[in-house]
Amino acid sequence: MRIADKMMFDQVTNNLQKNRAEMADLQNQAATLKKVNKPSDDPLAATRVLAFRTEGKANAQFLKTASQARSFLDYTDQSLNDLSDVLVRAKELVLGQVNDASGSGESRRVVAEEMKQLFNQSVQIGNRKLGDRYLFGGYKTTEAPFDFKGNYKGDDGEMRLPINKDTWLGVNIPGSKVFLGKQKLDHEVGDETVVEPKSSSEIIQAKNHEEKIKMNNRNKDKFKQGPSGGPAVRGPASVRTDSISSLQTNQSGESGRKVDGQGLSASEVRGQNVFDVLDKVYISLKANDKAGLQDSIDDLDNAFSQVIISRAELGARVNTLDSNVESLRKMNIEAKEVASQLEDADQFEVISDITKTEGTLKATIQTSGKLIQPSLLDFLR
Amino acid sequence: MSKISAMMDIGKRSMMNSQTALQTVSHNIANKSTEGYSRQRVDIQSATPVGSGRLRIGMGAQAANVGRTNNPHLEKQILNEGSELGYSQSRAQALSRVEEVYNEQINKGLNKYLGEFFNAFRELASSPENLANRTLVKESAINLTKDFGRVSRQLTEIQKDLNTQITSEVYEINQMTKEIATLNEKIQHVEISGGQPNDERDRRDLLLKKLAEKINIRWAEGDNGMVTVTAGNTALLVSGYNQSELVAKTVSNPQDRKGETLKVFYKQNERLPLADLTNQFNGGALGAALEVRDQDVDGLLNDMDEMASAFAKQINQVHQQGFDRYDQPGMKFFTLESGDFNAAAKIRLNEFISSDVGKIASAANQGSPGDNRVANVIANLQYSNTMRSGKSTFDQFYNGAVGKIGVAADQANNRQESQAGIVKQLKNLRESISGVSLDEETTKMIEFQKTFDASARLIKTADEMLDTVLSLKR
Repeated sequence: MRIADKMMFDQVTNNLQKNRAEMADLQNQAATLKKVNKPSDDPLAATRVLAFRTEGKANAQFLKTASQARSFLDYTDQSLNDLSDVLVRAKELVLGQVNDASGSGESRRVVAEEMKQLFNQSVQIGNRKLGDRYLFGGYKTTEAPFDFKGNYKGDDGEMRLPINKDTWLGVNIPGSKVFLGKQKLDHEVGDETVVEPKSSSEIIQAKNHEEKIKMNNRNKDKFKQGPSGGPAVRGPASVRTDSISSLQTNQSGESGRKVDGQGLSASEVRGQNVFDVLDKVYISLKANDKAGLQDSIDDLDNAFSQVIISRAELGARVNTLDSNVESLRKMNIEAKEVASQLEDADQFEVISDITKTEGTLKATIQTSGKLIQPSLLDFLR
Repeated sequence: MSKISAMMDIGKRSMMNSQTALQTVSHNIANKSTEGYSRQRVDIQSATPVGSGRLRIGMGAQAANVGRTNNPHLEKQILNEGSELGYSQSRAQALSRVEEVYNEQINKGLNKYLGEFFNAFRELASSPENLANRTLVKESAINLTKDFGRVSRQLTEIQKDLNTQITSEVYEINQMTKEIATLNEKIQHVEISGGQPNDERDRRDLLLKKLAEKINIRWAEGDNGMVTVTAGNTALLVSGYNQSELVAKTVSNPQDRKGETLKVFYKQNERLPLADLTNQFNGGALGAALEVRDQDVDGLLNDMDEMASAFAKQINQVHQQGFDRYDQPGMKFFTLESGDFNAAAKIRLNEFISSDVGKIASAANQGSPGDNRVANVIANLQYSNTMRSGKSTFDQFYNGAVGKIGVAADQANNRQESQAGIVKQLKNLRESISGVSLDEETTKMIEFQKTFDASARLIKTADEMLDTVLSLKR
């Protein structure tokens, strides 16, 4: 092949350019430690890395939410533990006073005072806050769910936090359930008609469902309450005049226990109203009513197991949360690993490539000098 | 019969031939690095011998013509491949800029802000009473709308830059066609008088090659040595001595985002109206710039608009079902005026919400500050197939756009690289045929110098011979 001068110069320029470009690319990889520095480096990897990053960030958020859910659940559990202590103490007191062998009218009046304290303590437990939020108010987290008489101001809302893709975990137990014994909540697990809404149409559905329940409740309330106006509560009506609530009501100048729209109808109250039970014990103690005390033992037991069942539910949720956190962590590590495989440069490979290219570059430069220099003219003197 | 005077004459002509050859050598050396130059050779032929019968005496040599060493087929091939190279280079260059808009390997981008937006709603869901969480939602929404705006703006900027490129390409094309028309004239003149317009032809070949790098052309040489150049299908740019211009002009276009488009028109002459031939120009750097502007970038802008408007619609729809902190029904979360057009540039967080984060609706019911159901639904939109009539999520749609531009840029780069390789090969081949080699020229130089010396010696010898003849009579 005939070699023209321009060919040689072009070749030298091209080769140097090629080596330099390769070197610059490798240097960039070494500096960023990434082999994908722009989408065109590897379009498939670039988009997959994006997806993994989104997933990683969402997982980090889920972990954050999970730890918030955890503290809410823990504190709720703690509070219910305190509540069960109250009930245990109440039962001890009742057992001590239920017969004349260990108690007397005198001692019962004394114990009644402690019972009043236990009642107040229960209200306080019901009004516990985590940060700015009341634990037992359902969705109404900004106002105290119970007044001093034990009337419930909250609703049945169960706050569900997103703890994973398409997974929500209820973090609260509404006071209506654990304190008032309302068994069937609007969003009870297993209630097929209401699931966590995933779209706007499902929100409407959920809302309609709630409206319907409210309407039903109102109708039932009307029907059950009848002309007397008071709620149907278990216990001897004859001694109700002396109850804690009426005492306290007298102080505040109100009369009777009032139940608002969120209140419970008798049909829903299949469990125990903790406050009513304590109130009843108090009345029986005050009135020296041994039969009433005897009745209350069962109620106290029921109330206790009601709290325990709620605690068991909390425990189950904590377990769900823990295993979820576990899998989130695993997923995070896996996502990072895959992303790293896709986009990260192998350091050793890059460095060895740099050394190799450096050698080629040097060789190119040296041979270029030799290629360009001699010409026939150099030998004509 | 031999004559001393003939000998002197042969010597003289040989000296002149050597001078011509040496001058051509110097011309070659001087043009060693001239682009498109083909080395020239003096065609030396032996002169017609004289005498009759058995004794025919050679009458030396004559320089027939100065020709150029050139392979026209190769030139044509270089022109075609060069046009392809001009196209792929221009395309790769433009797409690498587009790609940077979507480069989240280094910069923060829409993918990140989308994730942050949905995570902010998850944070809000975990504690809707918290004002800080609401502020987080607001900030993330503002960042997201800003980034939609950034992508849209940067893409539009690239379109503007491509317009500048198109205008300057058109200017250069006109300059080149003008010169080709002038060269046509010169070449015809020289050839009519029987000469060889080597340098003019070299220059015209080069200009045709450069023109092909800019725009898709077809060309043909007529019997008279003049070329006719057509760009696209119908734009006759050079015909004989005449040249027609292309004109880049902005015209109003309601279908364009800016309301106007830069188009390329053909102006045959002053009397005829401009003809819009933008669609015909699909090759060379100009064709690539037009294609990237009108198809790639415009397609991406459409994608972004589609995404922004679907995003605003979906979030608004859910948000309006909810209730805010003041128990009022949720308002539109994003404001987006006048439909889908330019949605990515126009999407904004509702001003009422940005001035009062309490207006963010997280509850599905009134009077329940802890109700997070609407926030949950919005956060879950991240995983809902909301785009392209339920075929992909927002993330997938955006990542798909990134993949699309990534693949396009990758392909353009590969094509450019391989095309550059082909053209390099062909140019190498051309240099091998037409290029100047110093060694070769030096050898020729010595060769013709020696011939010159010898010819001079010949004249001297003839002179001495004449002297001898003249001295016979002493």
